[in-house]
Amino acid sequence: MAGARFVDPSILARIGNLDLLARTVVDGFINGLHRAPYFGASIDFAEHRGYVAGDDIRRVDWRLFARTDRFYVKQYEADTNTNFSVLLDVSKSMGFKSRDVSKLEYASYLAACLAYLAHRQRDRVGIITFDSEVVAHVPPSAKHFNVLLHTLDRAKAERPGQLAGPVSKLAEHFRRRSVLVLISDFYDDPDVILEAIKPLRFLGNELIVFHVLDPAEIDFGYDDASSFEDLESGEQLPVVPESFGNEYRKLIADHSNALATKFSEHRIDYTLINTSKPLDHALFSYLSSRERLMRVR
Amino acid sequence: MSFLAPAFFLGLGAIAIPILIHLIQRERKSVVLFPSLMFLQRIPYQSVRRRRIRHWFLLAMRVAAIALIVLAFARPFLKQGELAAAAIAGAREVVILLDQSASMGYGDHWQRARDAAHKVVAGLGADDRATLVLFGRNAEENMRATSDRARLDAAINAAKVNSDGTRFGPALKLAQSILGQSSLKRREAVLISDFQKIGWGSAEDAHFPEGTTLTTASVASETGNVAVPSVTFARTAFAGQERVAVTAGISNKGDQPAVSVPAVLSVDGHEIETKPVTIAPHASTPVTFAAFTVGEANVRGTVRAGTDLLPADNTFHFVVSPSAPVAVAIVENGDRSEASLYLSKALAIGTTPSFQPEVIPASRLTPAVFDKHSVVIFNDTVIPASMGGGALKRFVDRGGGVLVVTGERSSWLTEDADLLPGKLGPPVDRVSGRSATLGYRDYSHNVFDVFQAPRSGDFTSAHIFRYRSFVATPPPEGRVLARYDDGAVALAERRTGAGRVMVWTSTLDDSWTDLAKKPIYLPLVHQLVRYLARYEQTPSWLTVGQVVDLASIAAQIRGDRIVVTPSGQRTTQRANAPGLLELTEQGVYEVRTAGSTTGRPLAIAVNIDPAEADLAPVDPAELVAAVTGRATGETADAAAPEPLSPEDSEKRQALWWYLLFAGVLLLAAETVISNHLSRKEKFL
Repeated sequence: MAGARFVDPSILARIGNLDLLARTVVDGFINGLHRAPYFGASIDFAEHRGYVAGDDIRRVDWRLFARTDRFYVKQYEADTNTNFSVLLDVSKSMGFKSRDVSKLEYASYLAACLAYLAHRQRDRVGIITFDSEVVAHVPPSAKHFNVLLHTLDRAKAERPGQLAGPVSKLAEHFRRRSVLVLISDFYDDPDVILEAIKPLRFLGNELIVFHVLDPAEIDFGYDDASSFEDLESGEQLPVVPESFGNEYRKLIADHSNALATKFSEHRIDYTLINTSKPLDHALFSYLSSRERLMRVR
Repeated sequence: MSFLAPAFFLGLGAIAIPILIHLIQRERKSVVLFPSLMFLQRIPYQSVRRRRIRHWFLLAMRVAAIALIVLAFARPFLKQGELAAAAIAGAREVVILLDQSASMGYGDHWQRARDAAHKVVAGLGADDRATLVLFGRNAEENMRATSDRARLDAAINAAKVNSDGTRFGPALKLAQSILGQSSLKRREAVLISDFQKIGWGSAEDAHFPEGTTLTTASVASETGNVAVPSVTFARTAFAGQERVAVTAGISNKGDQPAVSVPAVLSVDGHEIETKPVTIAPHASTPVTFAAFTVGEANVRGTVRAGTDLLPADNTFHFVVSPSAPVAVAIVENGDRSEASLYLSKALAIGTTPSFQPEVIPASRLTPAVFDKHSVVIFNDTVIPASMGGGALKRFVDRGGGVLVVTGERSSWLTEDADLLPGKLGPPVDRVSGRSATLGYRDYSHNVFDVFQAPRSGDFTSAHIFRYRSFVATPPPEGRVLARYDDGAVALAERRTGAGRVMVWTSTLDDSWTDLAKKPIYLPLVHQLVRYLARYEQTPSWLTVGQVVDLASIAAQIRGDRIVVTPSGQRTTQRANAPGLLELTEQGVYEVRTAGSTTGRPLAIAVNIDPAEADLAPVDPAELVAAVTGRATGETADAAAPEPLSPEDSEKRQALWWYLLFAGVLLLAAETVISNHLSRKEKFL
C-alpha cells in the first residue's frame, strides 16, 4: 500500500494544515484502494413507484407515462447530496496523549479526512464540537468544508465533558437524513451512552461511532506506582500498576465490548480506534458504512 | 516523669521532616494524568487502602523514632514516689552480720541463718553493695563491700560455725564503721543471729548514725539444752601419789527437767565412771566422780553429759597434772619464839599453789638452802656473814625470790647492798598519834593486781605502828609498790638477773603492825610469795578465743615446737619465734618438741565459752532500739530515702539510654522494612 505510510498518526502530526493532511491521507488512501472489492458503489436507478400528490413532478418518468399513461416516479439508489456531520467530543479527557498524538488530534485528523471524503462526494459537511455543552456548531453545507477544518483546528480539550446533555440537544437539529460520525472516548456507562445517542438515529440518520482511545488507556503500560489524576475531575488515586493492570485491562475491554454489543443491537456502527494505529482502519469503517447507507432507503 | 533538658523538646519539630519527605515524595512521585479514573476506581478499594496503611505505618515508625530520640536528649527521669521509688531511690550499703558462734550450731539454726543471709543477698539491687561480716566474740569482714551476689553467696556457703562465743558489740561497731564510711545514702545492717542474751551487754558502745537501718533476723527457738560449763578438782594425797576427784557442774537451760542424763568421766580416753543425773529446769547439779590418780603431768580428762541439739557444750575437756608446791624458806633471827608463826601459817593454807614453808634460823642458813627453795624470806633477821661470797646474788640471778621483811633486827650485807631496791634506814615510830596505813598501792603491779577491783581487799584497816625508813633506788633499778600514808616506802622491788628482791619495811607479824590479823594479810602474803616464786598457774582448761604464750607455759620444750590442734592440723613454731597461739577450736591441743615422738606431750584443753550454753534470747527490738536509738517501727520510717537531686535521679536511672537505643532500633527496623517493601512493591 503505497500511501499507507502517510496515514501514520505520528507523521500526520507534523502536518499543520488539516486540508493538506486530509487530501494527503484520503487521496493516497483511495488510490491504494482502487482495486478493493468494497469500492464501486454508484447512484444508479433503482426502481419506479407510483406518483403521489406532493412528489416533485420533475421526477416523473414521462417516457413511461407515454407508454403506460400512468405517472411513475423514478427512484435512485442513493441521494448523492447527503448531509455529513461530525460530532466531535472535545472534553478534557480527549486531550490525553501518551505519545505524539493526543486523542483530540487524532480525532481531528479522522474528522478532517472523513469530511474531505464526503466533500469529494459532494456531500454537505458540517461539524459539532461538544464537551458538557455544545462548543461549536457548523451546519452541513457544501461550502462548509473549510469552516469545518477551521473548527477542528480551533478545537481544544479544556473542559470536562458529558455526552448525554449535548447529544440529546443536537438530535433535534438533524431534520434531514444525515451521516453522523460521533468521535469520543466514551467515558461513561454504556447504557447511559446508548440512551444519549439513540435519538441521533431518528429520521433515518446513519450513525457511525468512533471510540478513540490512547494506547496507554488500552494497554495500561505503566510500571511505577503513582498517583493517577483524573484529567477532568482532578481527583487523584494512588495506583500500583502491577496490581491494577490486569483488572484495568479487563475493565476497559469489557467496556468496549459492551459498547460494541449495545451499538450493534441498535444498528450503530462502532469502531474502536487506537491512536497509535494508522487512520486507514477508521476510513475503511466509514466507507463500508457509507456503502451500506446508499443501499438503504 | 520529669526532664533534665526539656529544651530539647524543640527537636520534636523534626517530626515534620519525615512527613514533609512523605509529602514531597508523593508529589515528586510523578502524578500521572489520566483521562478518567472511572475504571481504576472500580478496582476494589481494599487493596489500595492496605498499602496506604502500610505507608502510614512506616511514617509512624519514623515519627516515633524521632520522638524517642528527642525524648532521650531531654534526659527524662522518674521522680521519687513514682514508679518503684524504693528501687530507684539510690543504692544501698548493706552490712550482713552473720553470727557464727558455737551456739549457732544448735539444730538447724545455722542453716536458717544462712538462708536468711542468702535472702538478703537476693534482695540486693544492681547498684547495692553488701559486706559480709562473720562474728563471734570478735567480728571480721569476710567479704568487703561488693555488688557481686555470687561471691557473697559463695562466702556465705563457705562460712562455718566455730567454737567462739557471742558478742554483738564488736560486730555492731564494725557495721557502724563500715556504714559510717559509706558514701551511699541508704545504709542498712542486717543482724542474723540466735540473739543470745549473754552476747549483748548494755555497755556496748555501738550507735548507728542517723538514717541507718538495723534489721534483725532471729533464728532463736524455744529449746532445752544440757551443758557442762565447768569442773573442779579436789586433790588428795594417797600412798605418796596425788588423787584428783572431779566434780562437774551440769546445767539444764531448758524449761523441762532433764531426767537421768548420763554423765561420763573419761581420763586419757578411758571411761572412769558414768553417773545418771537429773537436773531441774534452769538449774545446775554437781556430779562428783570417783577420784583417780594423777601420776604424771598432762593427764587429759573429759566430762560428757547427755546428748542434745547443741553437742558442743555437752563435752568439757580438762588437763590435770600433779601439783608442784612452792618451797619457801623463812629465815628468822631465832632469838624469839614463833616470830614466823603468822607467815608459816598463812603459807600453809595455800592450795594454788600449795606452799611448803620451812622456818630456818639464821644461824643455820647455808647456801644449800637457796638450792632447795624458790623463795627465801628474811623475816626481821640479821644476814649472817657466812652468806657472803655472792651466794645470795647467784640465787637471785638464777631466778630466786627474796623477801626482806624489816624489823628491829634487820640488817643487810654490805657486799649485797646492790640487791636491795634501796637503802634501809632507822625505824620510824608511829605510835604517837595516828598509826600509819598503806596509803598508796601500785595496782598495776602483779602483787596488787588482784586487789584492784572494788571490795577486793581493805588495806586501810591495817595499822602500822613502826616501820623502817627506806630510801628507794630510783627507777628503773628500783620500784616502789606501796607507800604509807605519810609517803614513806612500804614495799619496794628490784629485779636482778632472773630473780626478784622485795623489801617490806614493816614486820609481817603482830609486833609493829596488826596487818597479820587483818583479812588482807593472807592474800597479800600469798601474792608476794607467788610473785617472788614467779608462779604461774597452769590452767586445767582454757576457753576458745584465748591466746596462750607457749614460750612460758611450754618453757620446758627446747627447740622448735609442734602444735597439733584438736582437728589434727599441725603447725611448727620456731624456738626463737614468739610463742603466741590463739585457741580457736574446742578440744585438746598438743604441744611437743619437734622430732620427739616419745613421752606425753604438753596438753592444753580448750572449751567453748560456757555462756554459749545459755540460749536465752534477747528481744531483737531491744537491741535495735539500743543501737539505733529508735524503736524498730520508727527505724523503717527513718530509712526512707532522702530525696535525690534531679541530676542524681536522672543519672541513676539513665532512661535516656534506653530511649535512644529504642529510637535507633526503630530506625533500623524502618530501614529494613521500607527497603523490603520498596523492592517488593516498588511502592513507598
